[in-house]
Amino acid sequence: MLTTAPHLHIRRPSPTTTEFTVSTLPPQTLPLRLLLAVVNLLRLLLGITVLLVLYAKWSLYSPYTAPASPPEALSLASLANALQHVLDSAPGRLAQRAAAGTPAWALGPAALAALYAAVRRVHAAESLLVLRGLGIQTSSSGATVLGAAATRFIPTEKIQDVLINEAFRGFEVRHYLIVVVDGEEDVVVVFPKLLPRRDVVERVWRGVRGCLFDVKPRPKDDDGQARGNGRRTNGKI
Amino acid sequence: MPEHDGLMRVFWPTDIATSDLPGVIVGWRNSGLDVVVVAVLDHVDPKSVEGALKAGILLRGAPHDLDRIERLCGHSSMHVLGVTNPESAPEGKFIIEPSWVLATTGPSLRVPKVKCQVASSVQTISFERPIPNRMQYISLDPMALALADKGDPSLLSVSDGSDAEDEKQERRHRQKRRQLVDKLKLHSVVKHAPSMKDKALSRIVNQVNWAWELEHLMQKNVSLIGTRPKRTLSVSERVVEQATTMRDDAILWVWDKIIFYVFPIVRRIFILTLVSHRAAAEIFLMILEWRLRPSSPALKDISATAQQIEIRLQQFCYWPMQYVKLRLRKNDWASVTTSHPDYIRFYNSLWLVANDVIIGIAIGSYIIDNAGWVADQIGLLLRQYTVEALHSSIEWLMGWPAGLKLNKELALFLGDLFLWVIEYWSSCITTLQPLLPHIIWFIGFSSFAGASMPIAMFSDLVSILTIHIYSFYLASARIYHWQLTILLSLFQLFRGKKYNVLRNRVDSCDYDLDQLLVGTILFTLLFFLLPTVVVFYLNFAVARMAIISLKAVFDTMLSCLNHFPLFALMLRVKDPRRLPGGIRFELRDTQDRLKLDSNSSIAFSSHPPTSVIYLKPIPLSFTAMFHQYFQMGNRIRKHYLSPRVLFCLITGRFVPPIHRKVLYSLQYSMLPAKRADIIQMWDALNSLPAKKRPLGIYPYGKQFINMPSLPNGRRANGRRGAP
Repeated sequence: MLTTAPHLHIRRPSPTTTEFTVSTLPPQTLPLRLLLAVVNLLRLLLGITVLLVLYAKWSLYSPYTAPASPPEALSLASLANALQHVLDSAPGRLAQRAAAGTPAWALGPAALAALYAAVRRVHAAESLLVLRGLGIQTSSSGATVLGAAATRFIPTEKIQDVLINEAFRGFEVRHYLIVVVDGEEDVVVVFPKLLPRRDVVERVWRGVRGCLFDVKPRPKDDDGQARGNGRRTNGKI
Repeated sequence: MPEHDGLMRVFWPTDIATSDLPGVIVGWRNSGLDVVVVAVLDHVDPKSVEGALKAGILLRGAPHDLDRIERLCGHSSMHVLGVTNPESAPEGKFIIEPSWVLATTGPSLRVPKVKCQVASSVQTISFERPIPNRMQYISLDPMALALADKGDPSLLSVSDGSDAEDEKQERRHRQKRRQLVDKLKLHSVVKHAPSMKDKALSRIVNQVNWAWELEHLMQKNVSLIGTRPKRTLSVSERVVEQATTMRDDAILWVWDKIIFYVFPIVRRIFILTLVSHRAAAEIFLMILEWRLRPSSPALKDISATAQQIEIRLQQFCYWPMQYVKLRLRKNDWASVTTSHPDYIRFYNSLWLVANDVIIGIAIGSYIIDNAGWVADQIGLLLRQYTVEALHSSIEWLMGWPAGLKLNKELALFLGDLFLWVIEYWSSCITTLQPLLPHIIWFIGFSSFAGASMPIAMFSDLVSILTIHIYSFYLASARIYHWQLTILLSLFQLFRGKKYNVLRNRVDSCDYDLDQLLVGTILFTLLFFLLPTVVVFYLNFAVARMAIISLKAVFDTMLSCLNHFPLFALMLRVKDPRRLPGGIRFELRDTQDRLKLDSNSSIAFSSHPPTSVIYLKPIPLSFTAMFHQYFQMGNRIRKHYLSPRVLFCLITGRFVPPIHRKVLYSLQYSMLPAKRADIIQMWDALNSLPAKKRPLGIYPYGKQFINMPSLPNGRRANGRRGAP
């Protein structure tokens, strides 16, 4: 419901620069926005709760006690004081009770799993930026909201070829776009996580060639071009 | 024509001062429509700027060699690339050439609007300039933290046969991959010839790195353009100037005398001390590296302590060379980025040693204060684990271990044999016991040379004090292995076959009846005795593995203390731009896209389709920083967790411990493979330029007083301290 099948979005501010983005984000409608907002709020709450429980567990064993007199503002002591106030509130007491009730060996992995669920990215987005005269840049969003997108820039000089490959994956055949880099053993797979469907990949391939090498698509055998030039070599992902 | 496809590419620094006044854009023109903007000069005439660039007036007063600029940026001089805000200039001031960039800038515009008469589309690539004085730079490839001046295979050509086997297999694997890659090359039908724009990328990276320094130099010299030389100072003005600068002159004079007479003596003494220390280090290193025969192991291959001393000495030998290299960096432009990895390596190793000593002092003072208690504990542990635990386990094996009914006589014999040696060993340890506090005290004292020293010594101490377990393991493995091979050959006899050594195969063979009979009886006997030998072998093999893991823990601690990329990690937190790991581009939405869409025909005529791209540096990834560790981990895993080792363990063949050299491949990533000898060091130290006057330390703040390149008249005009 929150995600769709990977679909393509093209940005082309000038004919020499194109960005192809494949994402699982569905079209933004009002109900979807509301739903996303609710989900994100829930995740935020979950994260805060887990942190609170962890802090409560730590304060059970901690040798430090809150200072009696109110400390000066903006110091470590005042921070500890504020945290103590949080623990003394109603949800804080609940967290304390939960922390006291769960053993440490169960709390650790559970908290880790909950935190991962809280920071995990809902939508994946992968993009390919083509700049004529400069090169190709692939990028892929990280698994969590904390991590930045992993990018890889390949200068045009090093691009040997861009082609569509096919491979078996489980019981299906997948078509995927690869960049063969000069002097490297491994090819670079574009959209490695989402692996969009063949029609999307073909559109991107044609766009890349048009943008990067200024190859005009022949109107006659528009479909045959991919077959003719983008040779299919069999491989496995 | 690839050059004139109508694509204009403009690299524009975002952090140059932008105003809405008309100005002249100065920068590098890499090819027809491919430009890198360095500076925008206000209030000047383009023609006189072009003349000044040709004559080199704008780079006057450069602190260093101008040839470096040409070599790294690829062009001998910059050009006028265009003008900013031509609309607001008075009519007829600018005679615009068709290839010029016409940019509209203003304080509110972050990225200028660029157009050009001959361009059909524009890429505006804006970048934030790396600041060379803070050692920031960008690079296409990730920065290499490890020293790479030697081939890896030559370093790992260990005499050990097993590693050679691995190596061979790896080479075969690599060759196969290379063949595959070559085959992949045949697949591309059309080879696109790279255009001039494609080829310029590496040059552009250098130009981006130089942009900050060159811009500041030009902005300083911009007052020299076009204005006529001022008159010389009058007599009264000179008197005033003399009077105001009198105090500074006096201080300078004193400083000059100190530099001239005292400094060389201090320096000479320092160099002599350093070289004499270096000679002493050379002697120690020769002792550590001495081999009886070329194939036999040196002292540093056997002992962790020797290895640790060797690392420290090697570092001591390398530091002066590194320092000289870094000092020479100061006599060059700050934008030259080749020595930045050296800087990081040098300070990383200095910092690690300082850290090591600090931790070592803490540990050492603790050990010395509690030498008696520590010695008692160690003696207790030693007795408990290496004597009594072994004793009880052997006794357990001599009975019916876990309900297994072994051959009682053989078990008794083997057990008695080992127990007897253990008795002897425990008496040795008892005589050693009173010495232990002294040894511990010595170890504690040595830790003032760094925490790595006691760790290495403890590692060696463990090796020495568990030597009996090692010999038990060797003996039992030998017995087990013999028995296994005899069983195998007797099994062939049992089947009526025989192993043919000459042909390396199993042939059938006609045995006599008595041969068969005796062989079969022996086979049965040995087969029934096998479990007894196996349990003893397993016992000692497990003990040996435990010791190896303990030593692996020590070695990991040592490698962390010696090679942790602490400085790089700190830089990554403090200023990620100092650790470039490549570049990335970000496509921005054009600011006036809406306007473009609404009346595109009018908009197109004034501004060609423009894509605004940001060039950003990627900081070095943490994986790249710890690359050496991953490599070492891989190598250890390959050595110990391979099927070959398992096979060796099962058949009772000797499992070779991993070579120290492989374990310490990290070391070779920080130090050169071959250290510089004393004469090289002497030359390098003496080649350092003499200390200059402290005047050149504000290269961009003040005018240079004693710059020989300045003509005389000019110098008097541009008054001291003039902006």
